[in-house]
Amino acid sequence: MKDGEKLVIVGCSGSGGPAAMMAKKLMPSVDVTVIRKEEFFIVR
Amino acid sequence: MAGLVTSASIVVPDKMLEGAGITVVHDEVTAVDSQRKKVETSTGGTLAYDKLYLATGARSFVPPIEGSDLDGVLTLRGVPDAERIREVLDRSKNGKIVCIGAGFISMEVASLLAEKPGSAFAITVVELLDRPLPLMLDRDMAAFVKQYLEEKGLHILTGERVERLVGRNGKVVGVELASGVVLDADLVFMNVGVRPNVGLAQSIGLEMGRFGIKVNEFQETSDPDILAGGDCVEKINFLTGKPTPGQLRGPAVVQGRLAAKRLAGYSVAFPGVIDAGGCKMFDMTIAATGLTEERAAQEGIATVSAVVDSRSKHGMIPGVRPWKIKLVFNRDNQRLIGGQIVSYDIAPAREIDAVSAFILGGRTIAELTTFTSACNPDISSEPSAEPITIAAEQALQKIGR
Ligand SMILES: Cc1cc2nc3c(=O)[nH]c(=O)nc-3n(C[C@H](O)[C@H](O)[C@H](O)COP(=O)(O)OP(=O)(O)OC[C@H]3O[C@@H](n4cnc5c(N)ncnc54)[C@H](O)[C@@H]3O)c2cc1C
Repeated sequence: MKDGEKLVIVGCSGSGGPAAMMAKKLMPSVDVTVIRKEEFFIVR
Repeated sequence: MAGLVTSASIVVPDKMLEGAGITVVHDEVTAVDSQRKKVETSTGGTLAYDKLYLATGARSFVPPIEGSDLDGVLTLRGVPDAERIREVLDRSKNGKIVCIGAGFISMEVASLLAEKPGSAFAITVVELLDRPLPLMLDRDMAAFVKQYLEEKGLHILTGERVERLVGRNGKVVGVELASGVVLDADLVFMNVGVRPNVGLAQSIGLEMGRFGIKVNEFQETSDPDILAGGDCVEKINFLTGKPTPGQLRGPAVVQGRLAAKRLAGYSVAFPGVIDAGGCKMFDMTIAATGLTEERAAQEGIATVSAVVDSRSKHGMIPGVRPWKIKLVFNRDNQRLIGGQIVSYDIAPAREIDAVSAFILGGRTIAELTTFTSACNPDISSEPSAEPITIAAEQALQKIGR
């Protein structure tokens, strides 16, 4: 992805959370947003 | 659910994500417009994207059995379910509980309920197949588990199909089995598997597999700007090369990171799943990876296997606990394809990761006979009793030179 581009992640549990963290780490200038429908995002 | 920790303490706080510079939105995505590349949310919000990652997970599957919508019928998926269960249990200290399904979630729930301080529930587990944990364990290994759970007071009914749930005034009061037996029940836990949340993916027209969204080894879907991973996608079994659900946390985490790496320009491929998993019931820990012998037979793979007893420490050390391992090899190419551990101590169950590594590395019977483990009186069996090598030795003798 290029600088300033937008990554949107739907779901922020087992898979969405790590995806967001890794994306931000590898691409700090990409705009990362996670959307989840509940207050707590972890299942276990 | 066990009440050992608060809900808030088991979640990764938003702070962690926000601290890393990630925007967190609490809302439900109701639609994806893949032409205009934006998502819509339940509160009327719109978010534009250049790339989208779908990690919508799975939900508990409630089979279409009469009475499954009655009060007192519960499933366990997320924190809200656990809190609902706790509320119900805090109100009743005894009573009859029926757990439908003997998979790892159901068995962990049953053992937690049996151990709940100050309570005296009569707990029955009903399983359609002929043993508890049928996807993890073969019949020989499951027999030890069944016996142990029965000694702990659980009533395990295997080979029984639930016909319907019996209700009175909208509340569950019983579970009727196909055999005609009716079990009294004040509460019913239904944990018979999960189904992927693929509604959004279907609405966009993404290609679907039998077990979820179809992705390639880089988590890319049929839309070049949409990736997906975790419980909502279909996986490929590393050993059979066939589609499989693979709905476990390990693949979900790794696929999430892998998708991010792909977007950052890396080309690391997902190797497929081996369904490595574990669970703990009372003081017994079970772990399994790869194929059971039964599953291998269904796949047409001829097997040779060995079950070996071991101990958690050297025999003379106080606190030594028994454990056993089963290794399953492909008889034709002699490669390791599965492992099952039943242990009265937690630590030995971690040897399942060595088994997984050997499976992924394609190690053979002969190669495993020369495996040397890290050994110490307090942390392992004697090297002469190291069960992976012994299982390999036994398998070697079964197949001959
Ligand atoms: C009781 C229980 C015990 C378990 N124990 C183990 C275990 O010991 N080991 C193991 O490996 N696995 C275990 N699992 C399985 C493991 O939890 C899952 O495999 C893992 O959580 C999958 O992660 P995921 O991100 O794909 O999906 P999920 O964890 O289901 O997360 C999906 C997320 O997406 C959100 N979402 C979905 N749709 C939308 C939408 N339209 N808009 C916004 N948000 C949305 C959901 O609300 C959720 O936050 C267990 C599961 C359960 C239920």
